Amino acid sequence: MRTRLRELRPSTVLATIAFIVVTAIVLLPIAIIVLTAFKPAAEVNAYPPSLLPDAWTLDNLKTVTSELPFARLVGNSFVFAGGVTIFALLFDSLAAYALARLDFTGRRVLLVVIIATLMIPFQATLIPLYQLVADLGWVNTYTGLIAPRAADAFGIFFLRQFFLALPRDIDQAARIDGAGEFRIFWSVLLPNAVPALLTLGLFTFVNNWNDLLWPLVFTTDTEMGTITSGLTQLTGPSGIVPHGVMMAGSLIAILPLVIAFLFIQRRFIENIATTGLK
Amino acid sequence: MTTAPPTGRRYRPPAPLGGRRRADGPAGRGLKAAAFLAPALLILGAFTIWPMLSALRLSFTDASGFGEPEFIGLENYVQVFTDPDILNAVTNTALYTVLFTPIAVAAALALALLLNNPRLPFRGFFRTALFVPFVVSFSVAAFAWSYLVDPQVGLLNYWLRGLGIQLGNVLEDPHLAMPMVVLVAVWKLFGFYFVIFLAGLQDIPTSIYEAARMDGAGAWSRLRNVTLPLLSNTMAFVLIFAMIAALQAFDQIYVMTGGGPYGSTQTLVMEIYESGFRKLDIGFASALSYVLLAATLLLSLVQFVFFGRKEKDLA
Amino acid sequence: MKRKTVLIGGAGSAALALLGSGCSGGGETGGPATLTFWHGYTEADGDVLQGIVDDFNASQSDITINTEVKTWASIDDTLLTALSAGEGPDIVAMPAERLPVYADKGAFAELDDFYNDESSNTANLLPGAVAMVEIESRKYAVPTGFVPLAVYYNTALFEAAGVTAFPATWDEWVATAKQLTVDEDGDGTPEQYGVVLPDHATVANGLWPSLFYGNGGDIVSEVVDAVIDSPENAATLEFWRSAIVDDKISPTGVDGVGADELFSAGKAAMTIGGPWMASIATENNIEYAIAPIPAGPVAQAASAIGVAMAVTVDADDNARAAAEKFFAFFLNDDNAAAWSLGSGWPPLRSDVPAEAVNSNPVVASLTEIADLGRPLLPGVVNSVDVLAAIDELTQRAVAGEDIAGLLAEAQETVQGALD
Repeated sequence: MRTRLRELRPSTVLATIAFIVVTAIVLLPIAIIVLTAFKPAAEVNAYPPSLLPDAWTLDNLKTVTSELPFARLVGNSFVFAGGVTIFALLFDSLAAYALARLDFTGRRVLLVVIIATLMIPFQATLIPLYQLVADLGWVNTYTGLIAPRAADAFGIFFLRQFFLALPRDIDQAARIDGAGEFRIFWSVLLPNAVPALLTLGLFTFVNNWNDLLWPLVFTTDTEMGTITSGLTQLTGPSGIVPHGVMMAGSLIAILPLVIAFLFIQRRFIENIATTGLK
Repeated sequence: MTTAPPTGRRYRPPAPLGGRRRADGPAGRGLKAAAFLAPALLILGAFTIWPMLSALRLSFTDASGFGEPEFIGLENYVQVFTDPDILNAVTNTALYTVLFTPIAVAAALALALLLNNPRLPFRGFFRTALFVPFVVSFSVAAFAWSYLVDPQVGLLNYWLRGLGIQLGNVLEDPHLAMPMVVLVAVWKLFGFYFVIFLAGLQDIPTSIYEAARMDGAGAWSRLRNVTLPLLSNTMAFVLIFAMIAALQAFDQIYVMTGGGPYGSTQTLVMEIYESGFRKLDIGFASALSYVLLAATLLLSLVQFVFFGRKEKDLA
Repeated sequence: MKRKTVLIGGAGSAALALLGSGCSGGGETGGPATLTFWHGYTEADGDVLQGIVDDFNASQSDITINTEVKTWASIDDTLLTALSAGEGPDIVAMPAERLPVYADKGAFAELDDFYNDESSNTANLLPGAVAMVEIESRKYAVPTGFVPLAVYYNTALFEAAGVTAFPATWDEWVATAKQLTVDEDGDGTPEQYGVVLPDHATVANGLWPSLFYGNGGDIVSEVVDAVIDSPENAATLEFWRSAIVDDKISPTGVDGVGADELFSAGKAAMTIGGPWMASIATENNIEYAIAPIPAGPVAQAASAIGVAMAVTVDADDNARAAAEKFFAFFLNDDNAAAWSLGSGWPPLRSDVPAEAVNSNPVVASLTEIADLGRPLLPGVVNSVDVLAAIDELTQRAVAGEDIAGLLAEAQETVQGALD
């Protein structure tokens, strides 16, 4: 955005300064993760502490890669978070379409039930869920990891809200042309919902990539874990967590997400503005 | 390009055309809806609702995870309402929610409003930077923050000491531990709310602002009379989900304080986890979960009412 | 690690058959069996254990044991779920204070017959180690580690301060710690502490119990009675609060992990820890020596860190018999010494001759003090609440609150947890 000097009012200057300060504070923990990952062990626990490493080292990253099958774990994370995202976007948007566009008895109740599923902590359903997945014979399989997350209430509710905001004119026109409901959903609503789908997709991907409890409890085999659950393996005996190594592991865990976000962020936030009002 | 109606309310669908109703009876619509809903409901039903019902059944038993659970009636629920530890966890959870929800939502809203100013330089950068914490997992965030405020080698402590502020041992201080774990949650989550508010703001047509400006409305009046009312849908959405997140606070607390010091950060979900996975008292953990579910449902309804959303709007 | 068949998108996968409990056959024992063994020995000790397992697998043809190495914390996080669905391990090792709750809820097989069998090599196990696996006078596990907490001290710092003899009593201990506490800039916050005494979440939760024992106090008597509110314990808390707060021999508000970190950073001359402190010190280039926790006015005793392995409900009779064979093998003369040397923990059997473990100086020092060890809260099912009560008591006491009131409160909480 180009800013002409004469447009700089005091309020804008103040806002800019405020943003610089807030952004610096917000990014400090990120900077700590990145920079500590490259600090030698002696500097990590040195006093006085410093932000930048004096001597940059790759030792921490090497330790992580030797202690964890990290390529495998990152791969698992992609399969898990990616698989969940693809299925959830599809199933959530189908359900959201019905809830936003189709009149049927029990719609209100159904919506409340769906939202209520968000209100019970995952810890409470973990054991019955695990027993079910085990009964299905899916323990330590990708299917078992992904299936329980292949649709979720937040996504359904989010997309329903979005579909409600889309003008009905667009589907009425298609309906008068004789299009079936699925055609209307697939060729009319979905293309208009790309920004919302991107937002929800990112949200779903990030949440599952970062999920700790489910992959940790679900995978009794270390080879089936994700990078997030794998990080717990870096804790030493007696519970000491070597900070440098942990930060290096964290860096590996968040890097793919940051890159993915930088790729789509332009589309995702700018397009969301249009909310399909084309 | 169609614009939103000038009232600024979310677009209300026109009444269905008469012809459609005749051609498409209730049964036909129900079938269609079922087809669209089937995959999601199958997944939710099998992997969320069924385990929820199992947990409900277990909440009336002494289940431990092994062997046949024995039916013990309402004993677990009685314990939930009489155990002083639970009362402490309820108080802490309430405090957490009351701190987290307004702070996270207000921060997100304020930053979104400021960023919506087209004269602000580096908007793209700020927008991206403020969202980055959201992609960091809670456990990593908790770990990084713990390191920053470490009393011995924490950089934040060190810098603040330079400014004459003695932070002390934040995570071991019964007055500071709770604000600290709330801060981490705000840091991690506000970026997502921020993006949702940005989207909501960009939905508001500039023509409304221009009209308001011509009527002589100042910045504050435009905010109060145009922006905030038009954001009320988004606000309700964000508030509900922020509140649910707060009521289920667990991850960063588990890593940073383990519920301490002196149980001052022990939340309900921490208590549920401890009862279930440490004391192997699944029955009690399930009962506690259902009490939390009921409380969350109640609070959500209160919010819907507060936002003037009639039942009709909800569904 | 064996490869597992993974089906994507297919319902009713066959992968299940490849996993978990390897429960083959019915009630017969002695047939072929494949067992899964979860443990948390992630360091050099893990390699030694794997060696013993490999030897066992090679020593006979029927039984194969597959190990799955996790952290101790993640064993605790995942065991319940896995066992509840029949997907758990056949054998699991865990910290001893976590054992009673699992045993009480029926997660483990009772092993009394195994202990009574002469060929089980259990006859000469340390009595303290056996006590920690007993719940209501039945034995539910086989100890894999039992070592009293000890003082690990930085010999370079001792030399620099001119300390030549390690203190033998509490008073000497405090005096030595004062001598080793350095506040160069005189700001009231020492740059170097004589000792680090965490006030909560101490190593293996054992620091304060050890101090209580030293003055003749205790926490729980005979599994059912809380005895924490005693004049002895009040005196102990007074004594150490004064040393920590007034004499500043230790930082406050530190937990066990923080204590280890301060010691390994050279900022504390002494720490109370377990055998792993030896390798941590070496990694951080700290010259160290090991000494027993100095004697209190009444007794010299230390809470022990214990680890034990149990047979789970997921093992059928055949698998259980196979597991018992492995336990006997693990405890035989050769392995008892080999495990001790390799793990750095003192031998579990009192009849392992001192010469057998002298080649490892850490083990030699720890073996000398092995009889000071007392199991922590043996048989107490709700150790979670008891330990939380101790943490709250000590943390608040060090923070300056009224000790009599705190002890009364702790007494009530502990008794509540035992009832």
